[in-house]
Amino acid sequence: MATNPVPDHVPPEMVRDFSLFTSPGMPPTLNGDPHAAVARVHDGPPIFYSRYNTQDGRGTWVITRAADQRKVLQDAETFSSHRSIFSSILGENWPTIPLELDPPAHGVFRSLLNPLLSPKRVLALEPAVRERAVELIERIAASGTSCDVMKDFAFPFAVSTFLRFLGLPDDRLDTFVGWGKDLLHGDDKERPVAARTIVAFIDELAAMRRQEAVDDFMTFIVQAQVEGRRLTDTQVRGIGVLVFVAGLDTVAAAIGFDLAYLARNLKDQQLLRSEPDRIPLATEELLRAYPPIQLIRVATKDIDFEGAPIRKGDYVSCATMIANRDPAEFACPNTIDLEREDNRHAAFGYGPHRCLGSHLARREIVIGLEEWLARIPAFRIKQGTAPITSGGHVFGIENLILDWS
Amino acid sequence: MRIIVQKAKCQGHARCAAQAPDIFKLDEEGYILPSDIEVAEGEELPASRGARSCPERALELTR
Ligand code: HEM
Ligand code: SF4
Repeated sequence: MATNPVPDHVPPEMVRDFSLFTSPGMPPTLNGDPHAAVARVHDGPPIFYSRYNTQDGRGTWVITRAADQRKVLQDAETFSSHRSIFSSILGENWPTIPLELDPPAHGVFRSLLNPLLSPKRVLALEPAVRERAVELIERIAASGTSCDVMKDFAFPFAVSTFLRFLGLPDDRLDTFVGWGKDLLHGDDKERPVAARTIVAFIDELAAMRRQEAVDDFMTFIVQAQVEGRRLTDTQVRGIGVLVFVAGLDTVAAAIGFDLAYLARNLKDQQLLRSEPDRIPLATEELLRAYPPIQLIRVATKDIDFEGAPIRKGDYVSCATMIANRDPAEFACPNTIDLEREDNRHAAFGYGPHRCLGSHLARREIVIGLEEWLARIPAFRIKQGTAPITSGGHVFGIENLILDWS
Repeated sequence: MRIIVQKAKCQGHARCAAQAPDIFKLDEEGYILPSDIEVAEGEELPASRGARSCPERALELTR
């Protein structure tokens, strides 16, 4: 796979055979642990060049240290987010918002959206989130002693919470999950089809809300004003598409990896079951150990960064799963310690693009684990089954069959 | 004890407020209020925990 030529300005000794897509443990793997697999980069230099490290097969610089990632991500002037990852799948060029805008334009939209997902607002959403978790888990508990956590709990829980936030009904949940799978994990044919379907869906929803206002997210967006003006159609689409995609996969993946860990570590499982007050702190450690996302920036100018000759236009990868296993930042980074304090992990990114949904995502994971552990007795991975994990731009876990017979 | 707040660095992670909501006050968007924080006697422990929890390093403790 690693066939891209190395750009002339990259010293050959800085090139390493590493890729979030093709390195060992990254393609779909039975019983894999892709996070532990990438942690091995810390045996090498703090910054290096990978010839194949994005979904569309580009080379990137790889920043491994948490402190260096913080520097890159806090400096949006040098390291831009403007790269049209989504629309380029369609051969187009418009930004998802706020993800692919840089300050100062970015801040205007963040200020518009922040109150919708602030810690205070999330507190108000919590009872509905908990009710949904309880409903799903009680159904699972009543119907046997085994289930596929991803299909029966993680996806329906995360996606329906999110649809409720958007003001959309649950009845098309499976369709939406399918779109998300094709978009994030599909092949070169499936991805553009999924992207086009999502854009058409968002455009249509925006048109409906323009015609008739209801009390929901999309109505808020089509009615919103920034700097005295209504948003353009492309801006509405950029926000709608991003918020839709951001909530489809991430929380479900986190819950999947967390329950897989607990299924394999019965002592930790029992500790959290008997002392649920520990779950919020444990959730931070699980976010540190199993974050799903790689962040990409584009250099806006030539810069020598910590010894790396980065040139204008170079792609720079800040993978949260790599920062979170940095031994310079975390003592014993590959040990999962559910009581870890001062855990300033990078799961939600650093800098102005810090995950807008982080307060909701955190609470969903905590509530999901609380209600699961309160209702499901000691569980393991069902004998004869093996979860399939994968690396890539967004790490994933499929097919997690748990058993508590 | 004082906490120096570098407001420009705050990105609204709200980890400080999760540790000590009465010490670290957030605005409507969920970002820290701009002024430095005078820590009351007896509150040093939660205050320093909160300051240490900031992923952006926006909070600095001084004596
Ligand atoms: C465990 C779950 C989640 C994780 C680990 C996660 C992680 C991230 C990360 C690392 C970023 C920064 C991207 C960058 O800087 O390039 C981000 C941005 C974003 N996330 Fe999340 N996310 C999660 C869930 C959610 C949810 C549930 C929502 C929506 C309700 C959401 C909405 C967003 C949005 C809108 C942005 C763009 C923010 C900006 O560019 O200013 N995320 N997320
Ligand atoms: S933890 Fe840091 S970034 Fe987050 S709200 Fe507090 S000061 Fe701001």
